[in-house]
Amino acid sequence: MHLSDRNYFVVAVVFYGLSTLYAVFLQRRGFRTDDRINYLLLLGGAAFHTLAMMERGFNLQRCPINNLYEAITFLLWTIVCSYLAIGIWSRLRFLGAFASPILLGIGVVALMPSLDPPLAAHPNFTGVWPSLHAALILLGYGAFGLSAIAAAMYLRQERNLKFNKREVVFSLMPPIQRLEQTMTRLLGAGFVLLTAGLLVGALWLKSTHGYYFSSDAKVLWSGLVWLLGCGLLVSRWRFAQRGRRFALGAIGMFVFVLLTFWGSNLLSVIHNPDPQAKTESRR
Amino acid sequence: MSLLVLGLSHHTAPVTVRERFALTEARVPATLAQLREAGLADEAVILSTCNRVELYCATSLEPARAFPGLVEFLRKLNDFQEPLTTEFYQLSEPHSLEHLFKVACGLDSMVLGETEVLGQLKQAYDLALQHKHTGGRLNKAFQRAFNVAKQIRTETNIQRGATSVAAVAVELAEKIFNSLDERQVMVIGAGDTSEKAARALLSRGAQSILVSNRSYDRAEALATELGGRAIHFDNWASEFKRIDIVISSTSAPHYVLDRARLAPLMELRGNAPLLLIDIAVPRDIDPEVQFLDNVYLYNVDDLQAIAENYLQQRKDELAKCEGIIREKAAALLGARRPPAATPGRRPALGHQ
Repeated sequence: MHLSDRNYFVVAVVFYGLSTLYAVFLQRRGFRTDDRINYLLLLGGAAFHTLAMMERGFNLQRCPINNLYEAITFLLWTIVCSYLAIGIWSRLRFLGAFASPILLGIGVVALMPSLDPPLAAHPNFTGVWPSLHAALILLGYGAFGLSAIAAAMYLRQERNLKFNKREVVFSLMPPIQRLEQTMTRLLGAGFVLLTAGLLVGALWLKSTHGYYFSSDAKVLWSGLVWLLGCGLLVSRWRFAQRGRRFALGAIGMFVFVLLTFWGSNLLSVIHNPDPQAKTESRR
Repeated sequence: MSLLVLGLSHHTAPVTVRERFALTEARVPATLAQLREAGLADEAVILSTCNRVELYCATSLEPARAFPGLVEFLRKLNDFQEPLTTEFYQLSEPHSLEHLFKVACGLDSMVLGETEVLGQLKQAYDLALQHKHTGGRLNKAFQRAFNVAKQIRTETNIQRGATSVAAVAVELAEKIFNSLDERQVMVIGAGDTSEKAARALLSRGAQSILVSNRSYDRAEALATELGGRAIHFDNWASEFKRIDIVISSTSAPHYVLDRARLAPLMELRGNAPLLLIDIAVPRDIDPEVQFLDNVYLYNVDDLQAIAENYLQQRKDELAKCEGIIREKAAALLGARRPPAATPGRRPALGHQ
């Protein structure tokens, strides 16, 4: 039986849902149980997710990052693949219990038909540079997502250490210092990827439009996200704003990206350059 | 030839009786020889610790004949004339073998799951082996007991977790810091428990210890013992910048450290995580400090509650361990026999 790319993605989201249910079980057990099952569920989800992206990529004959559905699935794919890589190290495998609700929630949103119009077959951007620009930035947002997940684990562990003292030693969660390092490094990696993606975008803009910077809504929004990331890292290294505040900042920044990504895309002229073509293709 | 166990332990006999039957290591080889010469055992091992004295015998005698002889042998050996009621337990197969496995796994110990008894059992077996008082029957039983102990340790949580305040302090430190290597520890008030906790942290890799005490001499003595450095009590705050773990146990009637004093010290430390262990009564550290970011405070009640939780967790694992032991004993005896048919008396506590 041959499934479409969206069907493969639906199966992946089902796996993420099962993983979320198992994560609730792990959470209720106070993270005392080993989480290999959760890792395997996410591995299954990632396999179908990869099939979905390959199917669409081969159909389009290019990297499938042409509309919001594809951008979101790419973002989720980077998160789940990064988790699977990090999860090989058993001490950080618990990231999965925190990653699965995000994968499920955003995955369900991505399945809204309005995010995946038929225009996907006629992408606005082709070529290496736009693909590289989009891929780097989405990888950066994926790293921000993982950083936010590590931050959620940090907050949970911090709460246990301070207010659930009699249970904390029974949890298999990693030491809080390791969680702090993980969230900081992931945020740093995301920031580097975002910076690289924005630079590639600026160079591409120069080569096609003759200027590096535009006051386009998405460009301004990306600049704002970059400033937020920069501010968090500077406050961490320069002003010792570590721990809880940094964790809240990492989560806040990722939530901001999630909530405004769609809107900024809709308002952008550069990223929707040919509305006439859309109208015609719909006819 | 079957395996019999005759013994008394902290479950069945008070220390006043146990100490009368205890054997020093030097007496054991001669006692084993006498036991065999008396025709009571073909092979024998004696385990004598502070909590138990046990004879493990492989004998072709019927248990009903062997046990009275063994009791009489021990009475005479230790010149014990007083009446005995339920102090001695007498176990024959399969319970004797299961008991050996339980002892090896620490399931019969005062602190459930402790590992010290396994070392003592190995020592007792080695002593008998060296003096050629063991043969095929006991060799197989003891080797299997050591294997079962290893299996239980890896497959169950019976030995997991700390059951002392000092060990709990180490576990908490490991929940906060990536590793204890290069961690700096400060002991404020040189009490016995804080010394134990500091030693436990050092054994896990903590880098150095600073000791501060109202009596500088006492601080210096403890610092020397721990390989650390003594500091004057009034100066401990000035050393705080490099400290990761504080163990406080002064006899001060008021808080030694409160939120107002700690907040600027945390800034000096770059807000790095700080573990505070307050084992003083009355408490040395104001509980309000835990509302500061990156400060983790535990008092003696917290530590004791964690130790008790661990002990409960070990008790919860008991059924699983006993299942493994029954299975292994049955396999060694060559047949899976129901555990109900048991001749002889069984100890009142800790064996079910």
